[in-house]
Amino acid sequence: MKHTLRLASVVLFIVMSMGSQATAVAQASVVKGKVTSQDDGEGLPGVSIQVEGTSRGTVTDFEGTYSLELQSGDNKLIYSFIGYKTVTVDVGSRSVIDLVMEPDIEQLEEIVVVGYGVQRKSDVTGAVASVRGADLTKIPAANPMQALQGKVAGVQVSSGSGQPGAAPVVRIRGVGTFNDSSPIYVVDGVILSDISFLNSSDIQSMEVLKDASATAIYGSRGANGVVIITTKQGKIGDEKTTFSVNTEYSVQKLSKKIDLLNGKEFATVVNDISPGSYNNVDAVPNTDWQDLIFDVAPIQNHQVSATGATKKTQYYVGLGYFNQQGIIDKSKYERLTLKLNNTYKFSDNVRLGNNITVAPYSQQVAPGVVYQVYRAQPVAVPRYDDGSFGVVPNVGNPLADLENSNNFNKGLRTVGNVFTDIKLFKDFTFRSSFGVDMAYNKNKSFTPAYTVYNADGTASQQQNLYSDLSKENRENFTWLWENTLTYNKEFGKHRVEGLAGFTSQKTTSEYLSIRGENILRDGQDFWYLRPSYIVDESNNINTLNSIANGVDAGQYYSMASVLFRVNYTYDERFLFTGTFRRDGSSKFTDSNKYASFPSLALGWNVINESFMQNITALTNLKVRASWGAIGNEKIRYNRQFSLVQNELNPVFGVEEALNPGASYGVTGNPDLKWETTYQTDLGLEFGLLNQRLTGELDYYRRETQDILVDLLTPGHLGNGQGQRVTYNAGSVLNSGFEFNLGWSDEIQGVKYRIGALGSTVHNEVLSVGGNSGVDSTLVGGYLGDGRPVTLSREGLPIGAFYGYQIVGVFQNQAELDAYPHDSQARPGDLIIRDVNGDGKISLADRTYMGSPIPTFIYGFNLEASYKGFDINVDFQGQMGNKIFNGKEVVRPDPYNFERHVINRWTGEGTSTTEPRASFGGINFAPSTRFIQDGSFLRFRNMTIGYTIPDAALERINMNQVRVYVRGTNLFTATKFTGYSPEFGSEDVLSSNIDRGAYPVSAIYSAGLNISF
Amino acid sequence: MSYKMNFAQHIRQIVKKGALVLLVLVPFACQDFLDISPQGDLTQASFPQSAADALLATNAAYSTLRNWSYHSGGYPILDIMSDDARKGSNPNDQLPTLGPFDTFTFNTTADGLDRWWAALYEGIKRANVVIEKVPEIAMDQAKIDLYVAEARFLRGLFYFDLVRAWGGVPLITSVTPPLRAQRANKADVYSLIEGDLSFAAGILPEKSEVATEDLGRATKGAAKALLARVYLFQGDFVKAESYALEVINSGQYDLEPDFNDAFGEAGEHGVESVFEIGARRNEGTNNGGNQYSNVQGIRGSPNRGWGFNRPSIDLMNSFENNDPRMDATIIFLGDVLGGVVTIGDGTTPDETRDANGNLIEMETYNQKVWTEGSNTITSWGHNRRIVRYADVLLMAAEALNENNKSAQALTYLNMVRARARGGNASILPDITVTDKNQLRELIIEERRHELAMEGHRFWDLVRTGKAPEVLGPLGFVAGKHELLPIPQTEVDLSEGTLGQNPEY
Repeated sequence: MKHTLRLASVVLFIVMSMGSQATAVAQASVVKGKVTSQDDGEGLPGVSIQVEGTSRGTVTDFEGTYSLELQSGDNKLIYSFIGYKTVTVDVGSRSVIDLVMEPDIEQLEEIVVVGYGVQRKSDVTGAVASVRGADLTKIPAANPMQALQGKVAGVQVSSGSGQPGAAPVVRIRGVGTFNDSSPIYVVDGVILSDISFLNSSDIQSMEVLKDASATAIYGSRGANGVVIITTKQGKIGDEKTTFSVNTEYSVQKLSKKIDLLNGKEFATVVNDISPGSYNNVDAVPNTDWQDLIFDVAPIQNHQVSATGATKKTQYYVGLGYFNQQGIIDKSKYERLTLKLNNTYKFSDNVRLGNNITVAPYSQQVAPGVVYQVYRAQPVAVPRYDDGSFGVVPNVGNPLADLENSNNFNKGLRTVGNVFTDIKLFKDFTFRSSFGVDMAYNKNKSFTPAYTVYNADGTASQQQNLYSDLSKENRENFTWLWENTLTYNKEFGKHRVEGLAGFTSQKTTSEYLSIRGENILRDGQDFWYLRPSYIVDESNNINTLNSIANGVDAGQYYSMASVLFRVNYTYDERFLFTGTFRRDGSSKFTDSNKYASFPSLALGWNVINESFMQNITALTNLKVRASWGAIGNEKIRYNRQFSLVQNELNPVFGVEEALNPGASYGVTGNPDLKWETTYQTDLGLEFGLLNQRLTGELDYYRRETQDILVDLLTPGHLGNGQGQRVTYNAGSVLNSGFEFNLGWSDEIQGVKYRIGALGSTVHNEVLSVGGNSGVDSTLVGGYLGDGRPVTLSREGLPIGAFYGYQIVGVFQNQAELDAYPHDSQARPGDLIIRDVNGDGKISLADRTYMGSPIPTFIYGFNLEASYKGFDINVDFQGQMGNKIFNGKEVVRPDPYNFERHVINRWTGEGTSTTEPRASFGGINFAPSTRFIQDGSFLRFRNMTIGYTIPDAALERINMNQVRVYVRGTNLFTATKFTGYSPEFGSEDVLSSNIDRGAYPVSAIYSAGLNISF
Repeated sequence: MSYKMNFAQHIRQIVKKGALVLLVLVPFACQDFLDISPQGDLTQASFPQSAADALLATNAAYSTLRNWSYHSGGYPILDIMSDDARKGSNPNDQLPTLGPFDTFTFNTTADGLDRWWAALYEGIKRANVVIEKVPEIAMDQAKIDLYVAEARFLRGLFYFDLVRAWGGVPLITSVTPPLRAQRANKADVYSLIEGDLSFAAGILPEKSEVATEDLGRATKGAAKALLARVYLFQGDFVKAESYALEVINSGQYDLEPDFNDAFGEAGEHGVESVFEIGARRNEGTNNGGNQYSNVQGIRGSPNRGWGFNRPSIDLMNSFENNDPRMDATIIFLGDVLGGVVTIGDGTTPDETRDANGNLIEMETYNQKVWTEGSNTITSWGHNRRIVRYADVLLMAAEALNENNKSAQALTYLNMVRARARGGNASILPDITVTDKNQLRELIIEERRHELAMEGHRFWDLVRTGKAPEVLGPLGFVAGKHELLPIPQTEVDLSEGTLGQNPEY
């Protein structure tokens, strides 16, 4: 690192001195003045003032005042500031020039937050999508990313679980690696991997950086995209404090039930399989387990905030409370968010500030009863007449599991930074930001001893002989210190932004878990693991050995980086961006500790060419192209190390004692390095008809190389069977097109905006094992019984479904004899295609069954307002992917069936798709029978609001009062038979497999927004 | 801010403000910031470094013996390949994976061979850690010698399995083996084994010198008994005789009076045990259990395991009339063990007959792995015997006969028969045959009955050249099935370095 750092400081020094030379020139006259804003009359800081035709100039201070030396011949000054119209003034003989600048409404909307700075939208060369904060509060969800569903081209957000507090899975431009494919989040400059602590109401704007030009400044962390979040801040000049109160109440309801058999139908099918099981199918019980387990449940979401500014400070103070009960009992999520954003003007050249969020939360996690409900026989009763739980054969009574589940998370997340901006010289700003991310989570889970008894009083298999209590503590602490020096200069037709920075970071994670059995009392007051509370079977006080399975582990890592960027604009026409970041990380050994990530981009604002001036229909036209290399360092940090393995304990002696042993474990790979994504992007932006129609088109190609893959090694190395060593061996391609179109207009007082966006994804594994051996496939998607259903190998998408291809049902013995089949097959069983044509059905006949990754994702929305009314409608969907109905496949025992079994084969000619009924066996081998179309179109959201007219509000001294009603997840068009076709899996090798996830519900809300 | 400065002022200004920047950079301008060791985990570079570490490393080498895969990949395929046993369990369970071993139709991707190969080399690595690293530790030299001797004993044991199963295999004697390794020739593997075991025999204590809490560690007797076996496999009967007799004459061992105790729980670490694998009655390898017997335990009722390795009709028919060892070796349906009636498995036919009505299989189980208890978990406590004294006596008898000392051979052979007789003078009469060829047959036959279902039979048939004749009807092909195929994954991973065995 030494060399890199020395280089960094030298570069900083040189950049600083170069920029300052202009100031060392002899003086002539001086002009002073104050620049104020037209809309509030307050001084405007940061306005660039330049002597026309020269590179000389200055910038206004925090009061908006300035002083500039003029030389003879200087006669015009150009005043410019982002968001305001540029003004040119004749100096004449004046020594004081005060100026009022007029906001440029169009430009104001076009400022984009980028990595380590802001840019005019017209200057941006990368693929960056902006989302207004107001759009993020339209979905009643704890996690702000939920609201991005169908809102940004190229971004797929999937809620895999309706468990309150569950985070959605986010993928930007396909799936870039076999490992962690999630983007990073930069909240007010602090780099994070998860933003579940953020209250959507506190967010000012969200920017999604998609291409290399935008993300390469984040180097080894940018490969899967970057989401930059800016939280709210008081506006300079807004001296009146604005208070906002938002309150919303929602009700959630299961939006769709799975079509399962009722008691009579089930009994009939079972009789078909084993005749005589039920003598009278009309007399069997009929329990609808779904009705018993799902309920309506409320969400409350409330915020109060105060924001404003004084001459010296800007502030935003927010307090939020979110409380979601799950539609399954014993599940909930509750979160309090405190937000404090302040900026203090310390002196003319120094600002200090802080952005801090403190978020305590608690969560209760439901046990996996959804899968149980799916399998529970409808002929089993929930409770016997005496009120005790009924036995549900093979799966257990879900109500009993629920009653005995007590699984709680409690934690505190604190994320924030303090920063200072120092104006060093003319055009230079130094910024130092020290941020922290502190996350503490405690899990506590208690299951009392219980037994569900058969009707005859004998114990069933559903029992917990001894109560058990487990506790887990996790703490993660990260500090991040970022120092940047920015140079901003406009001269003549040139506009230059230079950025140089140095950052360092350290993360420490610690984990402690402990578990005990047979706790003294069941009550919550005794959920503490004290040795004296642990009793053994004979009720004697036992010693520590009943507290078992203790784990105490830690992971530390650190990073240090230098970064540079140059943005150059010539004549508002030609744009250039170059970035470079060099990262050092403790996750890699000396030979690979450092890696460089460059990017280059060019843009052309065609609209500003003289030949375009006559084409009045076009109001914007820009093309841009970028290329860059970006990394992914989110890998298991310790795979470089060869570790010692413990617990290799032999048993010796007559007393058969375990003797502790330890030896060399699996070999590490000291040559590991980062995964690198090479991304090319071509973009076109246009505006037509006075910007009523706007659009953005992009083509992207991302190729990720050196993906970390765990590969088998030769046995003679002694790593043990099936043990794998991590190598940089895989590569994956993602490519596609994105579009984002908007039309906005006003007709007879109705303002409206229609938007449509979409993106295609071509995902393909280029290589898995590289040149390192046989292992050219990655198997995944393991079902509950260990059978895999996905295979990632060259030429297929990541996590491709893999299994038998079903081509029909054997109608009779002759058909059976004529085609290869499993030795157990008989008429009525599925015909499995003999793919390799070897005349027998074996594992080698498994084949590609479809991709879990949609080839097209899209959204469209409508916003309209008329007088006090407003309406917002969002649709979102995806196409081209499959879902594997994993919950149906694992059937060693008689479980309930999905309704399609009614149409089963019962004799020649009765069905060519649905085999004879069976409790399991060859018809339940993973096959295309369980592949379903994953396409869907979801009516995501509709909001109708009414804002009370200003005239009425003035009397009560209010700014705004709005009431609204809203529906979320109102309707989903899909062929999928499960609860929701949306699946989120962080494990990309096992995605879109329905294992009986907690369903996502439909939500109906009513809310009130007040500000005064 | 005024910018009326001369150059010198300007520089001072830069230095003053720049100092802030430098201050920020300095604290982390060092390599150390990016060097972070794993938390709570030892790296191999720092282990072993003390006497305590040396003991840990030595113990770890033994722990391989309880690894499920150490036992021929998890399933007793050596018995299944012999004429002593069939696949077992219910007809379909593991049929595609284990069935081929019953019929010699397995190929290079046969299930379990990769596991066995890897487990043996994992054990060899752990032994090599001791052999290579412990002598570098500053500690009591006697302890160093002892640990190295134990490790070399185990390494010899592991290589002996490798060489018998696959012939010449890569010879790994260092903790940093090359990624690609050539197969050594068979003689080199044997000479490494002999070197390891004789080194161990020279240093290890006799069994009587081992503290009761250390029983299960390698001993002088165990090393010598293994040497006898190693030479027997190479046809070196002189050395085999000499090592077997050394064990016999050491006075450390005797036969258990009750045949059941020779392999059963009551005889664990008993007088007949030369080398055995200690195990606790706990499920899970980490908890001290050994799944070896669970794999073979009674399937169904009482549920004691998976029921693989079913004693064959041929084995039953081979016993001499009223040889009590048949009942002690085989659990028949209806047998009462530990007070529980054996009912067996509902999905397994009690009897299987061929098209001509001949009985070809009966639902039976291997009694030699039976452990008294109430559930499947207790079966994990079975201590598998690797070498027991009866085997040493029979090895001695075999070697003596080959060395033309039939009288002496008969003494040891008849000791084994006498114990089996259990005082019943009407059965298993002493053998008096002195014709070398006839006696050879009788000794092999005696080995079959004494050591049935203990994993010896297949290799005994191979080393004596009887396999084509005896196993031919089952599918054995001479010139091919003497060795197993090198696991296909290993051949593939070696990228051409490892050659396959003949005919595969």
